[in-house]
Amino acid sequence: MKYSLKRRFSGVRLWRKNKSVLYNLHPPTIPADGARFTYTFGLGGLTLLATLITILTGVLLTFYFVPTTERAYPSLTLINSVVNFGGFVRSLHYWAAQLTVIFAALHLARIVFTGAYRPPRDFNWALGLGLFVLLLLWDFTGYTLRWDEGSIWALLVGTNLLKVIPRYGDALYRLVVGDTAPGDAALLRFYAWHVVGLTVATVGGIGYHLWRVRVDGGISHPHPTRARPKTLVSRDALFSTEIIAAIIATAAMMALAAIAPPALGRIADLSATGITETKAPWIFLAIQELLRYLPPLWAGWIVPSAGMVILLSLPLFDRHGAGRGKYFSRARWQSQAAFAALAAGIIFLSVMAALR
Amino acid sequence: MFDSNRRVTAYLISTIILIAAVALVFRQAERQDWRAFQQTYFARTGQPAEIHVREIVPQLTGEPELCTTCHIGLAEISPSHPVAVFGCVSCHGGNGLSLDETAAHTGLRGGKNPSDLRVAAESCGENCHNGFADESKNHVDGVLRSVQGTYAGGIAAVRFAFGAQTSAEPVMGVYHISDDRIVSAAGVAELSAFVAQSGNPIEQKFAETCLDGGCHLSAEPRAEPYFFRSTGCAACHVLYGDDGLYRGDDPTIPKDEPGHMASHTLTTAIPFSQCNHCHNRGNYSLRQMDFLLRDDLPPAGAPLSAQMPAEGKRLVEYYQPIGEFTRCEWELDCIDCHTAQEAMGDGDIHPNQQEMQYTQCKTCHGTVDALPALKTVTEADSTALRQAALNPNYSLAVGDTVIITERGELMGNIKFSDGHFVLTGKADGKIYPFNPVMGSGCQQKVDEQESRYCHECHAVAR
Repeated sequence: MKYSLKRRFSGVRLWRKNKSVLYNLHPPTIPADGARFTYTFGLGGLTLLATLITILTGVLLTFYFVPTTERAYPSLTLINSVVNFGGFVRSLHYWAAQLTVIFAALHLARIVFTGAYRPPRDFNWALGLGLFVLLLLWDFTGYTLRWDEGSIWALLVGTNLLKVIPRYGDALYRLVVGDTAPGDAALLRFYAWHVVGLTVATVGGIGYHLWRVRVDGGISHPHPTRARPKTLVSRDALFSTEIIAAIIATAAMMALAAIAPPALGRIADLSATGITETKAPWIFLAIQELLRYLPPLWAGWIVPSAGMVILLSLPLFDRHGAGRGKYFSRARWQSQAAFAALAAGIIFLSVMAALR
Repeated sequence: MFDSNRRVTAYLISTIILIAAVALVFRQAERQDWRAFQQTYFARTGQPAEIHVREIVPQLTGEPELCTTCHIGLAEISPSHPVAVFGCVSCHGGNGLSLDETAAHTGLRGGKNPSDLRVAAESCGENCHNGFADESKNHVDGVLRSVQGTYAGGIAAVRFAFGAQTSAEPVMGVYHISDDRIVSAAGVAELSAFVAQSGNPIEQKFAETCLDGGCHLSAEPRAEPYFFRSTGCAACHVLYGDDGLYRGDDPTIPKDEPGHMASHTLTTAIPFSQCNHCHNRGNYSLRQMDFLLRDDLPPAGAPLSAQMPAEGKRLVEYYQPIGEFTRCEWELDCIDCHTAQEAMGDGDIHPNQQEMQYTQCKTCHGTVDALPALKTVTEADSTALRQAALNPNYSLAVGDTVIITERGELMGNIKFSDGHFVLTGKADGKIYPFNPVMGSGCQQKVDEQESRYCHECHAVAR
């Protein structure tokens, strides 16, 4: 038989879509109701996209960022000013990261309002909540790396919240900060967590989350009825929608990054007084506002944990029955009301803090 | 879901949107302030445009600085502070690695002026113009304690006159200052920072019209023609035009906006016009507790320099109409006679101007029975030799014989050789031969040497 390169590598068919990992995220056919764009708004996919862009731009930033208190800030100004498209890459990293949190929060809301947390998706719901916490920590550590005015709240107030944990607080603080006060040790630790620890955990978690979507029966959808029998669409159609959405979303993020680069304030001066006037990063504004009214243990730990416990427990109380796969179904009003109250509280507190 | 035609259209449209976003990214990357500044610079100077980020790595710090990317064409501050050695950040502070206007300029020492007295010790003093055992080299400390800095005499006189303090001894300055090494008899140990504390509205008005109104080295000047100057060291050493317009090539400094230095240059060749931006601009009225502008100059906005030939301008502008002066007082520049210590202090806190301003006619001309004091320069006269080396308009060498003042300062620009006195203008290099009183027809008594006695015969008509 004549030697054929093509034949020899015939088993390696990465370019054949039905062999690709991404293609096999979706089953060959999908219930039309679950695949409808106005059902999911592609929020899970957008979160994934924004995460991937954040990681890609983050890798590029590591080539220039120096995680020492002396060089961190100057290296950012170098990236902004001198590195070709450095300012754009940093801006895109910032915006993709913020949008990851926003998309994830909206995705979470969609899950609640369509009742998608119900079994068999209850484990994936809990996993998703865990991922959301990881995203917040990812964002938090990113803020500290800037070592500018925007870092101060995270560096001082954020880390000091660890100290109020009874019994283990001081030890935890030493573990996280690596010293008696934020400095080079803290910056290096936050950097390591930001770039390695949290990235590996989040990416792994996302992979598992996506896989669980498929093994838990795909995207949630209403039970078929006689009047409304189950209709299926090919995954090719869903992929088309997703790819187009991804292209447009990427373009939008690039445009946003080009037009609105994130501010870089003065270099952080941790010895300066007036820490109370420092604004927290927007994702932590609610906690900053709570700290005005409650003792730190409550504002920083007990209240946020209670919120998390409420969300985690939704699939324990609302497990089956009417209303699956339908937005704002009255049959599930309790869980939606609980979530709405929680979200409204967070938004209200954040706005209060932002307006100060 | 899409049918295949609509799908193709959707792919096309989304791809076009992506391409547009990429184009936007490129456009924003091109639209940077520094590019525009460099374009302006090259267009203005007529040089072929070479637009790129400019970096200097000053020898002192070894840290790269990008400041000249925008501030291209800014004059080197002085031959003693070469930019290749000092860079910008050593003196100015700020963030030399940023090309963003706000980020680059955060942390600037003293804003635009690192020599402002609030920060001069840090910008100019540290290791350079302070910290010597020889107090005459500690220029920053000297200026901080000088009457031009403290305004001690003016504050004491006004407070005493209006009953805010019980004696005319100075107790307050523009800022708090102390001196643990008093040399002169009238030296003051400490001044507290001025606060209008008597509750007397006159004292309050004094603070507003004089202390905030431009009467000392830390006060911002009036934003008007004739008054434009900087503060601190730069108040004297960085020259301003009467019109306050920038005449250099830095594209970031508007050339049509008054209030800028004429050039980003430190000089010791300070012409009378620079002194005049504070002095001789009017009179302080104690009765009105206000500064009254002299009314013989054209109104603000019509600078004299545009209207008069240089010689006549100088005669009119130098002193006020009521002033009496001799020819040398308006032909020479102020610094030709008034010494560095008179202007910048000698390390002591002096209670008032009279204690510090000591040069008189006799310093150079002597009296009927004595020639001015002379000294032959030796290696030990490092201050005078250094002063001469820093001034491009006169030179001084070991072996030259020059006038020495009663306080031991050498006037390196006034030499005595072959029986002749010759003054070289420090600001313009002009040569002025002059004669001593001794041997002339002058009969002036030895104990009547104040300038008013000399003016009786030697005053010139305006």
